[in-house]
Amino acid sequence: MADLISLKEIKRHYDVGGEVVRALDGIDLTINHNEYISIMGPSGSGKSTLMNMIGCLDTPTEGVYEFEGELVHEMDDNQLASIRNRKIGFVFQTFNLLPKATALRNVEVPLIYANITKSDRIEKAKKALISVGLEERMHHKPNELSGGQRQRVAIARALVNDPSIILADEPTGNLDSKSGVEIMKILDKLHNAGNTIILVTHEEYIADHADRTINLFDGKIKEDIRSAKRKVGA
Amino acid sequence: MLGLFWENLRISLGSIFGNKSRSILTALGIVIGVLSVTLMGTLISGLDRTFEKSMSFLGRDVLIISRMNWFGGDMDWWELRNRPRIKEDYGEQLREKSQFVAAVAPMSERGGSIIRGDLRTDTRFFGTTPEYMATNESADVITGRYFTDGENRSGSRVLVIGGDVADGLFPNEDPIDKYVKIGSHKFRVIGILKKQGKFMGLFSLDNQAVMPLGTYQRLFSRRGWMNVRIKLNTENYDEAKEEIYGIMRQLRGLKPMEKDDFAINQSATMEAQYKSIKLAIGGTGLFITALSLIVGGIGIMNIMFVSVKERTKEIGVRKALGATQSMILGQFLMEAVLICLIAGLVGMGLAGSLSLLINQFFPSSMPVGLAIGAIMLSVIIGIVSGLVPSYQAARLDPIDALRYE
Repeated sequence: MADLISLKEIKRHYDVGGEVVRALDGIDLTINHNEYISIMGPSGSGKSTLMNMIGCLDTPTEGVYEFEGELVHEMDDNQLASIRNRKIGFVFQTFNLLPKATALRNVEVPLIYANITKSDRIEKAKKALISVGLEERMHHKPNELSGGQRQRVAIARALVNDPSIILADEPTGNLDSKSGVEIMKILDKLHNAGNTIILVTHEEYIADHADRTINLFDGKIKEDIRSAKRKVGA
Repeated sequence: MLGLFWENLRISLGSIFGNKSRSILTALGIVIGVLSVTLMGTLISGLDRTFEKSMSFLGRDVLIISRMNWFGGDMDWWELRNRPRIKEDYGEQLREKSQFVAAVAPMSERGGSIIRGDLRTDTRFFGTTPEYMATNESADVITGRYFTDGENRSGSRVLVIGGDVADGLFPNEDPIDKYVKIGSHKFRVIGILKKQGKFMGLFSLDNQAVMPLGTYQRLFSRRGWMNVRIKLNTENYDEAKEEIYGIMRQLRGLKPMEKDDFAINQSATMEAQYKSIKLAIGGTGLFITALSLIVGGIGIMNIMFVSVKERTKEIGVRKALGATQSMILGQFLMEAVLICLIAGLVGMGLAGSLSLLINQFFPSSMPVGLAIGAIMLSVIIGIVSGLVPSYQAARLDPIDALRYE
């Protein structure tokens, strides 16, 4: 089976006030299906940039990015939007739900952009919400939900298009520890169900959920560690 | 794409009704703009139809030979004053010499009061011949009769009165064969003219009285102000006018180099005059009111910039979830258009009810085309003023937008 994601010699340079910042400075990385990866590193190490790159929110200054055979580094804005819509599910630290919409409608949003009919949309969105244990809260708005519940809505939204990868940026960063544990349980479960998950975190114990940890430093991969033993849904 | 349309509609409505006072204030600019443009258009079209109606009383196929032009004489007043009077027999001579004359009627006119007992009406009365009825299609006697040739020649003191005069002097009775006085002269009412309404909504055409020219000249003035009405038998007005113009110069004994000392007026000259006035007033009015619409559009643009700024994060999220630039553009454009559309409908509704109110005093009614035009105009303003902010939203970098707090 072909690689899911392949990054070759990826560089991302920013021009800040005439000075070139090398946020990513030659990244080679291959990710396979059903991997559970955590990306770590101190702030300024380039982990956000790498996540944006993998999430197709950004394109490299140099290098080759292949996503399931599609050449992301050559894509224009509309193609990037399309690949984000079809293949990537985002989970953000601050949830980023639409405040005026119910949980169900929030989960429907990616399906609207995928041009899916209303009845299919509702069915899929409900299924996704049930899979994160929110069948009781579908018609609640974000401000009527707890932090943990909001993040679960966000996970349902990330899942709803059957993406190839789920990208979670500090998914527990804004949660109390109990909710954080719940969220990690859900991510573990999703991984066991066959999903590819990429976590960006600076918490060691969160990163421990993953099978493979990539440590970044100064825009380069410092370490790429595969755990010998797979942790089963703690 | 239909799903996206409804989604955008829902977002836009949510945004508009979620910021009620802001939306109302923004929309107010467009409401006022549409209101003033539609009202202006309504008034102009009301004026048009009134004019059209009023013109029919003059008759398109009627030439009126007078000493002076109705409009646009660039001559000095003393020159006009020295022009010789128009003679009664020009009518007959023209009938003889021109092939285009269907009927002629000399008319002498003056203002005065008609008195009956305690009742009194200030009016205009004129003396003319029985043929007058043939030169004026809109004039008609509904009760009684018109005067005869014999009465004209003998100077009988008979009077045909307009509807307003009849109402004023004979509130509850039949005026026929009753007597009224003009000055010290006693007249017998023999007929009542059909009501014609107001000319341009300004003065009543029914406030008048007609008597035989013979009587008029005997009692009031032999050398007074005289016009000759000529009804043409052709639709080729220009040719007819040309010929009558030639005959008139001949009747006046003018040498080729001498200037005209008479005028041939017709409804067309009034129409031309009206059109230029309408263009000036209507054009300026519409331009000024359109400015208020532009100001409204600027308001929309301004508030859309605010809306885009406020929702930068949301735009970032939507882009991360797969919204393309055109989808974001559509979302904000929809919002701008929707505000303008709602405002346009409100403005038009107000204009419609106001025009009903104005109609009590001055003829006006909103034409359907104008209503549709106003709605389309507000949609266009929505698109134009929403375009730049929406484009800005569409072009946002998703990473920057997501990071925006």
